[in-house]
Amino acid sequence: MTTKRPLHATILMYLALAGYLIFLGFPLLWLLSASFKSTQELNSLAVNLIPQQWDFSNYASALERQNLLTAAGNSIFVAVVTMIISVVLSMPMAYALARLKGKLRAAGTVWILVSQVFPTILIIIPLFLVLRSLQLNDTLFGLILVYVTFTLPFTLWMLQGYVAAIPPELEEAAEMDGAGRFTILRTVVLPLLAPGLVATAMFTFVSAWNEFFLALVLIQSPELYTLPIALRSFLGAEGQTQLGPLAAGAILATIPSLIIFGILQKKLTGGMLAGAVKG
Amino acid sequence: MRRIRGIGAVAFAGVAAIALAGCQQGSANSDGGGDGDAVTLQFQSLSDQPTTQAAIEEIVDAWNAENDDVQVKIVQAGWDGTYDKLITQFTGGTAPDIIHFEASSIVSFAADGYLADLTDLIDPELKSDISEGIWESVTHDDQIVAYPSTLQSYMAFANADLLDAAGVEIPTGETMTWEELQEIAKATTTGDQFGLGWGLGSPTATMMSLSLGNDGGFFEGEGEDVTIEVGDDELAAAERIHEMAYTDKSIEPTSLTQSGSDVLPSFYGGKVAMTVQGSFQATNIANDAPEGFNWVALPPLEGTAGAFQAANPQTYSVNVDSEYVEESAEFLNFFMGGENLAKIAYADALIPSSEAARAEVEELAGDDAAWQQVLASGEGLVGPPFLKVSKYTEWKDTIATPAFQQYLANQIDRDQLATQLTDGWADVAG
Repeated sequence: MTTKRPLHATILMYLALAGYLIFLGFPLLWLLSASFKSTQELNSLAVNLIPQQWDFSNYASALERQNLLTAAGNSIFVAVVTMIISVVLSMPMAYALARLKGKLRAAGTVWILVSQVFPTILIIIPLFLVLRSLQLNDTLFGLILVYVTFTLPFTLWMLQGYVAAIPPELEEAAEMDGAGRFTILRTVVLPLLAPGLVATAMFTFVSAWNEFFLALVLIQSPELYTLPIALRSFLGAEGQTQLGPLAAGAILATIPSLIIFGILQKKLTGGMLAGAVKG
Repeated sequence: MRRIRGIGAVAFAGVAAIALAGCQQGSANSDGGGDGDAVTLQFQSLSDQPTTQAAIEEIVDAWNAENDDVQVKIVQAGWDGTYDKLITQFTGGTAPDIIHFEASSIVSFAADGYLADLTDLIDPELKSDISEGIWESVTHDDQIVAYPSTLQSYMAFANADLLDAAGVEIPTGETMTWEELQEIAKATTTGDQFGLGWGLGSPTATMMSLSLGNDGGFFEGEGEDVTIEVGDDELAAAERIHEMAYTDKSIEPTSLTQSGSDVLPSFYGGKVAMTVQGSFQATNIANDAPEGFNWVALPPLEGTAGAFQAANPQTYSVNVDSEYVEESAEFLNFFMGGENLAKIAYADALIPSSEAARAEVEELAGDDAAWQQVLASGEGLVGPPFLKVSKYTEWKDTIATPAFQQYLANQIDRDQLATQLTDGWADVAG
């Protein structure tokens, strides 16, 4: 039985939603506006969302000077591969962590938590030396290896929560129907875990996409720079910032992640709905 | 099942990307070396202005065209995080052959033995063309560890129309006293306009530099064996700024929390009549100011001891672990030649270290009044004591910057500032 929502409540709800969207979207709009402003306008005290004169040179400058397309390609590669490896590795581990009992599981859980305690700066030099001995420093594969190492504990922690939320009774029922362990995992657990996998994938993608410090230290060749490293070249000494090209570069840098999110977000919503009607 | 196929498609795309990027990586690494016996030097440059980057590329191209056996490859990097990156690279043995950085930041690298001794490799003509004071700023344990290239000074820029409207005569002398600056700032402060906007969000470098004009050296000694003194001379500049901000109310208070560049819009918009900036901003003001903006560079600031400021030059060092220290020094001797250095200095509106380059810049600048002041401000640049202090960077970041920020925010008084600076040094120095 449902009751009809009063009109004023609906209006309020939409107003709140609109307000929230403006709150979230305004920085992006401002960035977009800044990317089309001339240096003179950016350096003026006038506050205009619509540029007085549309200037497209910031985009040309961003693309020409900092090799942003190559950097974007590197970032996509690193983020996507990190996402895939992290999800593939954490899936079975999360299942084991959620379902198995015993001291090993407890020790594993503690180790995951402890691994999150170390600040990056503390381990960067040993990490660099290890990668160097593996001849993986200044390579994108080395960076991916590091990103997977850093994201895995959290993705594992995140995913095991999703596994734990799947009732074990469903697996037991399938077992009684004669399904083997692999079939149960493939046909029962995996579909129900899809929203969790997508959420985990999004988390790892964003972590790798935005990461700055490790990429800065581990990557030396300009051809291998990721986007955050390429974008920081617009920041100079003594707080100098080339605002126009930086804004244009940031807009360009946002597009691939928006596309990936667009694709994954549908899967996330689909997975949630599938879970909702199940059972 | 469609969901799983979707995820599978993403996974497949990832694997394809791996294969493609594998090819890409191969090509990226393959051009790192030279042909046959040719040597390739990695030259990490931090220059951030497009015109300067172009000038450096031109110089490197000229070298590469004339030296088939020693090729130089520019590794363009940025200032942000470079110290951490270099520390890691030095420790891991993968630092570039030639390293661009500022003098105060290479002190700890030199102390840890990461920089090659260049004393006997510097072109004698170049050596004699740069003042002893500037060489002193890159000398560690009697070894010259870097080529000093360009220097910046702090300069006051003024909106000539606002000064004129306030009935203030624009100073034209060789120097300008702090009292004059204060008087002009007071005279040009009106209801909605401040006399001065000064970006002091990161105040330590400015304070350390300008205190030299009042004989305030802060440190005595070298390396680990250093003592600190924070007296009237050391704090004179800070006190004057504090007085202007909170007694005269002639400094725009928000500007004290901003970077120098952040203050420029207020300067262009006529909200502040003057601004103190690094000399390099002369180029940015010339390029970015609104049409018809009537600005002038004022004479160098003079304290009780003179118009002295800290020479903290941009430097080019050679990695001690480089297999090609001599070749790197040879390149740097070429790079630092008068004409080349002048190109870089002019593009960045910085003061070149050598006389030859300075003469070239004078020619390039012609009768540009702002450039005359930029060059004049270079006359008072002296090697500051803090460049010899091993733990200066640590003290600056952890003690001095927050202490000066609190003082400029009027949260602590002068005595508390002195105590924090002194006691903080005791903690850092152990």
